[in-house]
Amino acid sequence: MLALDIRNLNKKYPNFELKNVSFQLEKGYIMGFIGANGAGKTTTIKSMLNLIQIDSGEVRILGKSMAEHETELKQEIGFAFGGVDFYTRSKIKTLTGVIKKFYKNWDDAAYSNYLRRFKLDENKKIAELSAGMKVKYNLAIALSHGAKLLILDEPTSGLDPVARDDLLDIFQSLVLDGEVSILFSTHITSDLEKCADFITFIDNGQIVNSSDKEHFRETYRLLNGKESDLHQVKDKLISYKVNSFGFTGLIHAGDFEPALDIRAAIPSLEEIMIYFAKKEEAHV
Amino acid sequence: MYNLLRKDLKLGVHPMFLIMPLLTGALMLVPAWIYFLVLLYFCWITIPNMFGGFKAQNDLMFTAMMPVSKKDMVKARVSVLVLLELLHIGIAMLYGLITTRLYPNLDYYFFKPSPGFWGLCFVMLAIFNLIFIPMYYKTAYKFGSAATVSITAAMLFALAAQWVGIQNTKMADIFNVTVGDHMALHSSILIAGIAIFIAFAWMAYRMAVTRFLKVEIQ
Repeated sequence: MLALDIRNLNKKYPNFELKNVSFQLEKGYIMGFIGANGAGKTTTIKSMLNLIQIDSGEVRILGKSMAEHETELKQEIGFAFGGVDFYTRSKIKTLTGVIKKFYKNWDDAAYSNYLRRFKLDENKKIAELSAGMKVKYNLAIALSHGAKLLILDEPTSGLDPVARDDLLDIFQSLVLDGEVSILFSTHITSDLEKCADFITFIDNGQIVNSSDKEHFRETYRLLNGKESDLHQVKDKLISYKVNSFGFTGLIHAGDFEPALDIRAAIPSLEEIMIYFAKKEEAHV
Repeated sequence: MYNLLRKDLKLGVHPMFLIMPLLTGALMLVPAWIYFLVLLYFCWITIPNMFGGFKAQNDLMFTAMMPVSKKDMVKARVSVLVLLELLHIGIAMLYGLITTRLYPNLDYYFFKPSPGFWGLCFVMLAIFNLIFIPMYYKTAYKFGSAATVSITAAMLFALAAQWVGIQNTKMADIFNVTVGDHMALHSSILIAGIAIFIAFAWMAYRMAVTRFLKVEIQ
């Protein structure tokens, strides 16, 4: 069953456009949604949640159309928008007291468990929580109302490596039983190397690739060669850099001929992102 | 809808704004004052502070993430506004009753607290609502121009009504001297005022919903 099914999402702004954004997330998996700043990650997420009006396309969550069942589906979705704060001068228990009334499946016992597990003190104010604790608080809320899909926008941005690692462990433990699915956007690709099952890469408002993590990386090759060899592959490279040692460039695996005397390696997610960003620069 | 009301009253509306009707209402005790001002304090103080609070606390995004419809979001916010207005006007009426008993022999230049005057106050708030609510829901967070235009309109109505109340000797007499002799007229003005208040709040709500459905929540 698909936890998330996005088909041909289009949204046009004066200076930016989401073009035919489509991707699917199977239930019980973690999908990393990557892209540079301004690539369209948050716009896509907000379109999915009906926060902004899409020009065309369809969003289906847990098998139901978001446009038709928004209120019902929001009972089953948990959110965390990194860096966005609400009612920061209120205590956790005051905020929870208000939020829990909105959810028909709210489970007080589960909530208490998550507070203990995440070491959250109910008497603290939101403003007193660290960035990582705020994400954990959002997770505690989401999981206590039985959310089946967690949509997390940059939840690890701004966290120190220890807090990030801690959160990634939590994400992995949440999907273990196959009930919860997670879509999380980030530009910190190392987080995804650790915990994502699938990667969806958005660049300049368009989905470049959406597949399982290993397949995603294997779709590309990072070439390393002498500058004199560059002309053999230049036209097929997504983008490249030249320095005193030669050139490095990214190419679709299918476009690369192994017979050539150029070293090829499977790139990291970060390298893929960087070379796609360079392609944009070259076109500007 | 009930959850949204509860959310506004527990998180969004500072308790101070629930006490304000008691404080501004006490201005009704100032002998023969321009009593329209008592309710205008609600527009001048409570509205910008309360809506500034919603904006500062990212209430729009917070509420939009809850499992509620956009229509209910507007309905709850309009209900909070109307509730506060009724508190202000209701408590001011009580203070008005005290005033007329405290100073029975005053000569009123401006409107005396009377059922007819309260009817005009309902109309003043109705005008405020009809302009403020739909204008605010163009963005659902910017309140500056909506508050400025709607408060100005409410003040202009109060100014015009008060000016006629002073210039027209018959009206001055009905509103300030012979209130007891014209109870039927006063009651009709009050009922008409309440009817206009309800109708305008309903229209404002409908217009606001139409606009809010197009709002992009950023």
